[in-house]
Amino acid sequence: MKIKKPAFNLKKNAHLNYVLFGAVLCLVPLLIELGLLRNSYLTLVGSVIIYSVAAIGLNLLLGWSGLISLGTAGFMGLAAYISAYVTVNLKLPFEVAVLLALSIPLAVGILVGLVSLKIEGLYLAIATLSVSEILRKSFEEFGDITNGFSGKTAGYPKLLGFFQLDKYGTYLLLVVVLVGVMILIHNMINGQMGRALNAMRGSEAAAQAMGVHLLKYRLVAFALATSLAALSGILYIHFIKYTYPPTWTLGMSLNILSAIIIGGVRNIYGTILGVFVVFAVPDLFLKQIPYFGAMPGFAYIINGILIIVVIMYYPYGLIYLGNDMKKLWGKVKAKVKP
Amino acid sequence: MSTFVQLVLRSLETGSIYSLAALGIIIIYRTSNITHFAQGAMGMFNTFVVTFLFTTAGMPLWLAIIGGMVSALITGFTVDFVIIRHTKKVSPVAKQIITLGLIMIFVGVTPFLFGVDPLNLPQLIPTGSLPVAGASISFNGILNIGFGLSVMAVLFYVLQRTKWGLAIRTTASNEFTARLMGVPTKTVTMVAWAVAAVLGVLAGVMTAPFTSVTLNLMDGVQLNALIACVLGGFQTFYGPVLGAYIIGIAKNLLVYYVSSVWGEQLLYLGILIFIVFRPYGLIGKKIVKKV
Repeated sequence: MKIKKPAFNLKKNAHLNYVLFGAVLCLVPLLIELGLLRNSYLTLVGSVIIYSVAAIGLNLLLGWSGLISLGTAGFMGLAAYISAYVTVNLKLPFEVAVLLALSIPLAVGILVGLVSLKIEGLYLAIATLSVSEILRKSFEEFGDITNGFSGKTAGYPKLLGFFQLDKYGTYLLLVVVLVGVMILIHNMINGQMGRALNAMRGSEAAAQAMGVHLLKYRLVAFALATSLAALSGILYIHFIKYTYPPTWTLGMSLNILSAIIIGGVRNIYGTILGVFVVFAVPDLFLKQIPYFGAMPGFAYIINGILIIVVIMYYPYGLIYLGNDMKKLWGKVKAKVKP
Repeated sequence: MSTFVQLVLRSLETGSIYSLAALGIIIIYRTSNITHFAQGAMGMFNTFVVTFLFTTAGMPLWLAIIGGMVSALITGFTVDFVIIRHTKKVSPVAKQIITLGLIMIFVGVTPFLFGVDPLNLPQLIPTGSLPVAGASISFNGILNIGFGLSVMAVLFYVLQRTKWGLAIRTTASNEFTARLMGVPTKTVTMVAWAVAAVLGVLAGVMTAPFTSVTLNLMDGVQLNALIACVLGGFQTFYGPVLGAYIIGIAKNLLVYYVSSVWGEQLLYLGILIFIVFRPYGLIGKKIVKKV
């Protein structure tokens, strides 16, 4: 007979899990203050959180809806510049900046969503790529707003007009936003929308026959993905405090895309793991390796090889590594025990 | 008028560069079903090889370029032999991510082998120009245009008229059936990767004299080649070439006559609108999906 499960199960309650995950992330500043971690790790973990927000949004598009977008970087940059311009040049409160920086990319995203009904697959990917390229060129040319190649700076956010956040405060804000996004997306994909998106990915015609409104769900998926990318851009500009056009190239979009594939498509924790592998592992570990670490491009090579190896041998993403290890361990145990 | 002719002549030169790169991308797409994001990176790497052979090893430029083509052949073979061949079961999206991994590897290996300083590669014919209808075009420009066109002519002849071309076209149309019919699809794919790499280094060598040889040498070419593929449609081999020349010409004309700041954005915007109305490109046909 099985043992009765306790009423309160940590493993089963996904929301609580997300909050706990956030709480663990909140420990980073504490560990730094205690001198256990280096100061630079705060920026590193912070950027992982920032890119994770955009990556979760893209995963909704790529994983759950099966639509490829290569425009993430453009939308992130757009939001970052708008937020910087509104807070620094117009001196408006942070909340107004967030509202503007979310709504303008959102409008563009909805337009792209409309376009996505006509074109698909690779064509859509490259259409979004050209949207992103148009935006990046505009960052270079709109010198009055974006400061061109010299780059744009912004400060830490000031909440509600009087609550000025410092470095740690902004970091906590990032964690709160990430946990919020995780819970939001979790609820969405486990609800009606998730099932509709799954049906659409499988077969558009069949989904339509079942009464799934294609236009509605595609628009919602694109709107969510772009607003999450925009949110990530806002967090970026107020945490890193500096941006210039070469940040928002195709390379950034591709990095976020590869993070999703490496970590695990259609998996929220997997996405974050992937972002960690792509954006943090080179700085954290690879550059620490003696001799090789100092070589130019070494981190790049290892990361490239890692991506290829993961895709070739782990097509479902690294997040399933744990599960497989457990299974393997179970097999080994069963063999050892007669 | 003479400015116009001058612009068109210059655009034909950029058009050849884009079309060589685009042709590489489309050959890979048709035979391996992968969008080749690393076409530019591989071209960049092999252009570094050419520059190395020319400046450090002191070879004459034409020999260095041949050396670069050989190294491109080798990289193409290796990439297919080590990686692409083993990805039959990988999903199409993930396959494209593999080329992203390739970009990282090439971008990482290049400074390791050739140093981080930007290098210079001269034109094959350094001086001299030919007057055409009030405008002038450098001999090197003529060479680029002519060479680009002849490479494409040879490729299309091979594709349409030879047994090898037939094998490539069969693989492109349906790999599984091609294998059943006895087409050595593995070899076809490998040759396709090698050819694409050679096209990449040719585009790289043509681009290099305009700027310096750096890691970002081919970024613009890669982007425009991809967009050319979309404009021309992924279903034919000649569509992207057409698209590449259109982009080359339209870009220079827009930049000169409309706005030097907004010309490029306008071009991309125009292409975007065009794709909305013709979702499968200039030449492409709609693929009917069966439910």
